[in-house]
Amino acid sequence: MISTSLIPCGQYKTSYAKDTTLFETPVSRAFCVAGVVLLLALPQLGVSNYHLTLLIQIGYLSIAALGLNILVGSTGQISLGHAGFFGFGAFASAWLNNKFGVPVLLAMPLAAVMTTGLGLLFGIPAGRLKGLYLAIATFASQFILEDFFARADWFSGGSSGAMAGTASLFGFDITGDRAYFYVVLFWLVTMVLLGSNLLRSRDGRAFVAVRDHYLSAEVMGINLTKYRILSFGISSFYAGLGGALYGHYLGFVSAEGFTILLSIQFLGMIIIGGMGSVMGTLMGTAFMVLLPEVLEIGFGGIRAVAGDVAWLTSGLAYAKQASIGLAIILFLIFEPDGLVHRWKLIKSYWKLYPFSY
Amino acid sequence: MKKTLLASAAIALASTAAFAADGIPVGHLADLTGATASVSKPYSQGVADALKYLNAQGGTGGKAIAFETVDYAYEVPRAMAHYKKLLDQKVVAIQGWGTGDTEALVSFVAKDQIPYFSASYSGHLTDPNGKTSAKAAPYNFFYGPSYSDGCRALVEWAADDWKKKGGHGKAKFVHMGDNHPYPNAPKDACGAYAKEKGLEILNPIQYSLKPGDFKAQCLSLKESGANYAYLANTSGSTISLLKSCETVGVKTQYMGNIWGMDEASLKASGEAANGMVWVVAAATWADDNAGMKLVREISKISDPSGAEARPVHYMRGVCSAFYMKEAMDIAATLPGGVTGPNIKKAMYQKKAWVPAGLDGVCLPSGWKEDDHRGTTQVMVYQAAVKGADISMKKVFTADIPRRTEWLGW
Repeated sequence: MISTSLIPCGQYKTSYAKDTTLFETPVSRAFCVAGVVLLLALPQLGVSNYHLTLLIQIGYLSIAALGLNILVGSTGQISLGHAGFFGFGAFASAWLNNKFGVPVLLAMPLAAVMTTGLGLLFGIPAGRLKGLYLAIATFASQFILEDFFARADWFSGGSSGAMAGTASLFGFDITGDRAYFYVVLFWLVTMVLLGSNLLRSRDGRAFVAVRDHYLSAEVMGINLTKYRILSFGISSFYAGLGGALYGHYLGFVSAEGFTILLSIQFLGMIIIGGMGSVMGTLMGTAFMVLLPEVLEIGFGGIRAVAGDVAWLTSGLAYAKQASIGLAIILFLIFEPDGLVHRWKLIKSYWKLYPFSY
Repeated sequence: MKKTLLASAAIALASTAAFAADGIPVGHLADLTGATASVSKPYSQGVADALKYLNAQGGTGGKAIAFETVDYAYEVPRAMAHYKKLLDQKVVAIQGWGTGDTEALVSFVAKDQIPYFSASYSGHLTDPNGKTSAKAAPYNFFYGPSYSDGCRALVEWAADDWKKKGGHGKAKFVHMGDNHPYPNAPKDACGAYAKEKGLEILNPIQYSLKPGDFKAQCLSLKESGANYAYLANTSGSTISLLKSCETVGVKTQYMGNIWGMDEASLKASGEAANGMVWVVAAATWADDNAGMKLVREISKISDPSGAEARPVHYMRGVCSAFYMKEAMDIAATLPGGVTGPNIKKAMYQKKAWVPAGLDGVCLPSGWKEDDHRGTTQVMVYQAAVKGADISMKKVFTADIPRRTEWLGW
């Protein structure tokens, strides 16, 4: 990974603790805090329900994609089964709420913990495999979980799915997008902070060592199996939490939503965003969620200009399907390090202006 | 670079202006690229053409029906996101599609009071007050017999056919379909009725909604010795099943649900579909009556040459759109005008209702406040395929009794 971090002169660190802060400069910390404050104020500013839907989608998908990024980007393990864990989190949260009456806001992290257990279980065989064989093993976990959801009537309601209740806090029902936005925002900020912190902790550094040169890591004393399984567990926690938020948002969880296509979409999000970086996950997810909407606006504009041409409706449908694959291919060719690299280049261009050559 | 920026800015501005069109907003969801696209395309074309035709005739109450056909590729999250967009546009009704989106939206449309006209004919959507089914569906309507009633009609035909053939003992009946809400919908209800009619129920056989090689399932079918096989999937996978079973040499009478067969699929299946019966709930393109003349006019909206022969699903799409429009006409006379709850009330006003101009195309339907079974009349057609000679004719009409315990089942 190419990382160009240009810290302006005058910013110096006087202790190791200050050197390992999450934000490199006070300015970047201020921007992040301002961003979160803006997001907090957004529902009050009268943003339409539709835009809130998009933001909520970006929210829970980012949490799951962040988990995958920790697994794939930071630990170097490939996983094609992420949608299965995402779905397990959704079903587990609905199950805990329906069967045991656990309040929804508590059921969500509990479901994530259950998914972690499952992830650790699937991580055990995966911890010994590398490369293509690992991909096949995780592929298998995807199909096992998909079939489990379709058949386990006691857990997922079988093929007809399960109702996921609405969240409530101290008797106050959290209905509607404006209120649910805060729940998603809370978890997003928490998980992003935890994820960024992970990468600067001892375990995070061990993950990076396993990714970069596992033989040297093993020689140095890092237990490869332990860290690979741990990485699966942590990424499953994120996936389970994202899935639980998704399930309670829709109000209805059905097995057909968690197919291999969703796993590939998660992979697409982190490839487009930038592997191994937290900000990259957010950018990649935003890109994937907003791309079909941008296409719809574009086609709507063409319709407004050219009138109601026959191929527009079906053309838009095909364009939406094709654009995601096309975006992944174009990014792999022209920007393999993802959007976050492009963003860093843009930032450094302006920081070094006019000497950016 | 500057030119593309200017052009895209212009298009963005134009697209925001387009949404400010005047008219009564109505939603339209379709699956044009997903798992059920093969049957959704003609149905949604029927809905779109009918609405455009009605707009050309003056719309409803002098206002046009503003709608946009949106493809959600059978992905429920996309349907949910689009539903939120429709809420922003303050739609008064939605023409939906399949089991995926309909099931997910049942409680939402009930809360937001927006009538949902689906192409999913699942039995439990007929129970508006939740008397027999777990979920109440007060704002769900569909034109046509439910999947359960359709299957019951086929069972009646099978019992009749068994007697005519002089079959000994009990006829063996098997349900074949994917493990998915849409094929599963009639399984229990139909099995119970089949037992009542004296058929023996065999273990269900699963075959995927996606077309593929089903020789394994066909071998199971052959070994089970089933006499009548109910095929619960859409036409795409049913074609593959029929062809696989023809290769294996299975001798079973196939009975398809309403989405299981149509004219184009007959051509694709060839002789494998010879003798298959299935449920039809509107006139066919080959029929010639006053209503079909109007349908041919409507078809010209997307096919000016008039050469395209529309499959049976197109006619049901037209019927669904017309019922909605006439309900909106009635709602305009109620206090409050054309709103969701008024459209729901309007749906209960007529009995033996056939939309104006569509006599002979749509089955007379009537919805009641506590019973959303529009029609319990089911037509069963049989296909005859010999080489390139393809035809289908009506062999049975069933009038399924309106039993109270069958409401929502």
